[in-house]
Amino acid sequence: MQFLSLPFVILWAIAFSLYYLVPKGRQWYVLLAASLVFYVIGLRGFPLGLLLTALTAYGCGLYLKRLLEREREELAACADRESKKAVKDMFRSRRKRLQLPCFIFQLGLLVFYKYAVVALPLAERLAGSRAGFLERVIMPLGISFYTLTAIGYVVDVGRENCEAETNPLKFLLFLAYFPSVTQGPFNRYAHMKEQFAGGRAFSYDRLLRGIQRFVWGAFKKLVIADRLGIFVDRVYGVEPSSVPGSVFVCATVLYMLQLYADFSGYIDMAMGVSETFAIALPENFRRPYFAKSVAEFWRRWHITLGAWFKDYVMFSFVMSGPGRRLGKVCKGKWKTFGRHVVPILGTMLVWFFTGIWHGRTLGYMLWGIYYGVIMSISLVLEPYYGVWKEKLHIRDGRLWSFVCMARTWLIVFAADVLIRSGSLEQARAIFLSFVTRLRPVSLLTGEITAYGLSRYDFLLLLAVLLVWLAVSVLEERGEDVRAYLAAKPAPIRWMCYYGVVLTLLVTGIYGGGYDTAVFMYQSF
Amino acid sequence: MEEKILEILEEHCEEALTYDGDSMMEDGVIDSFTVINVVSDLEDEFDIEIDAKYVVAENFRNKEAIIALVKRLLEE
Repeated sequence: MQFLSLPFVILWAIAFSLYYLVPKGRQWYVLLAASLVFYVIGLRGFPLGLLLTALTAYGCGLYLKRLLEREREELAACADRESKKAVKDMFRSRRKRLQLPCFIFQLGLLVFYKYAVVALPLAERLAGSRAGFLERVIMPLGISFYTLTAIGYVVDVGRENCEAETNPLKFLLFLAYFPSVTQGPFNRYAHMKEQFAGGRAFSYDRLLRGIQRFVWGAFKKLVIADRLGIFVDRVYGVEPSSVPGSVFVCATVLYMLQLYADFSGYIDMAMGVSETFAIALPENFRRPYFAKSVAEFWRRWHITLGAWFKDYVMFSFVMSGPGRRLGKVCKGKWKTFGRHVVPILGTMLVWFFTGIWHGRTLGYMLWGIYYGVIMSISLVLEPYYGVWKEKLHIRDGRLWSFVCMARTWLIVFAADVLIRSGSLEQARAIFLSFVTRLRPVSLLTGEITAYGLSRYDFLLLLAVLLVWLAVSVLEERGEDVRAYLAAKPAPIRWMCYYGVVLTLLVTGIYGGGYDTAVFMYQSF
Repeated sequence: MEEKILEILEEHCEEALTYDGDSMMEDGVIDSFTVINVVSDLEDEFDIEIDAKYVVAENFRNKEAIIALVKRLLEE
């Protein structure tokens, strides 16, 4: 059962009706039941990993709560700053001793599940089990998402950024909440706690807004992402030497759009479903291709993952004892560059982990290192940008903004060749094709239609991409597009609604052995 | 004290001085590298320790919030 299926619509309709019928204090029970049905029956997910992660994080949170209470009591009894510092240090060390085994266990579970899958075929043969059974046990859906969410919760409780949850079922709901359990966005407990507390009254406008966002997400997924995917898969599926470089350029640009349409489409659907329950999930995308630098791109793309790594890896490392000591030593040795050493190490650490979180391949590891190096170079060179701009007489304006955006696209383009290629050898051959046999004229001949998409498909894509661009420009200007449309006269408003729905129904990629249910980010 | 904090901010992120919103981190006015450098200089200047738990958007939402954070840590 995925979002784009009849069983999901039925599950949502039942959950939605019950949610607004039961007493307001018990609304979260409906969400928990719907989440468990979605995970265990709908996705056929084996919940062992989820339950173990929930249990350890919940227990750790409760124990941290007690430690923090005792710390407050002891601090209240301290008379001077020195004794306060000693008490703080002692409790900080106790918290770490408690958190560390919890993190090791949860990350160990994640690593085990992620890498055990390599040995699956052999294990299934040895166990003589049905094909697919062990895969469900060994590869629980959403583990990469709920593990990081649980770790974030334990850190937040320890940092007093949120209160520990005392009800284990409410905590399970936080991890298993069905709109976000498989692909995020990453929720923070401080943000979700009040929303799960209930007291939500039915609102027709909110229901409409939720449905609109869901349909817009489905439009991006079925009309744009899945159509682009046909071309990208075909091009990347053939021997690189038989395809002109320009076709690979085209396929990679379309892959950049496919990945964005697919993942942001999923997030729109998740947020739309959640909105119908009056629960706002955090935004995960903010028009990343308008970014003028790579750092900005990553503040706009998969925002909640970036924020997770920044808060829990980067800041934890930089502000740890060893991080601070190293920073002081480096600042003492090299006055200007020294202050960059620890942030650079933190950046490389973040991007290395981001790479291996996304995939088990060497390509993803290199992809992470690539972004880490680019971010670090930007960090060191940033103070000189202003000077160079002045020397080259570059003025801020639309043209310069476009140049900066194009530079960002180019950097992302190269990274996406790495992750879309089946192997490093293929990636190398593709990069080589850009230089040795670009043959741009291939894009103007009929050759481009030999990879699964007809001339009609390209024209349709052009039209829907322009619609998407127009929506994005409006959003970039701060418009709430749904409110903007709602304020338009009825004929215009309904023309837009019907236009999107009809295009989705008529031109969405359905059936024909093409699995529309699978979202690209689900594999992470 | 406030002048010293503003001086540190000016050195790392001049834009923060004129920013009049209340989400400096989300608005991209101050990035994580700048936050790290500002924190490091504030620690050296005021002999305080700014733990990771204080490095949240709420405490860096604008220059007034940063000043309030330093005041709070000095009083603790």
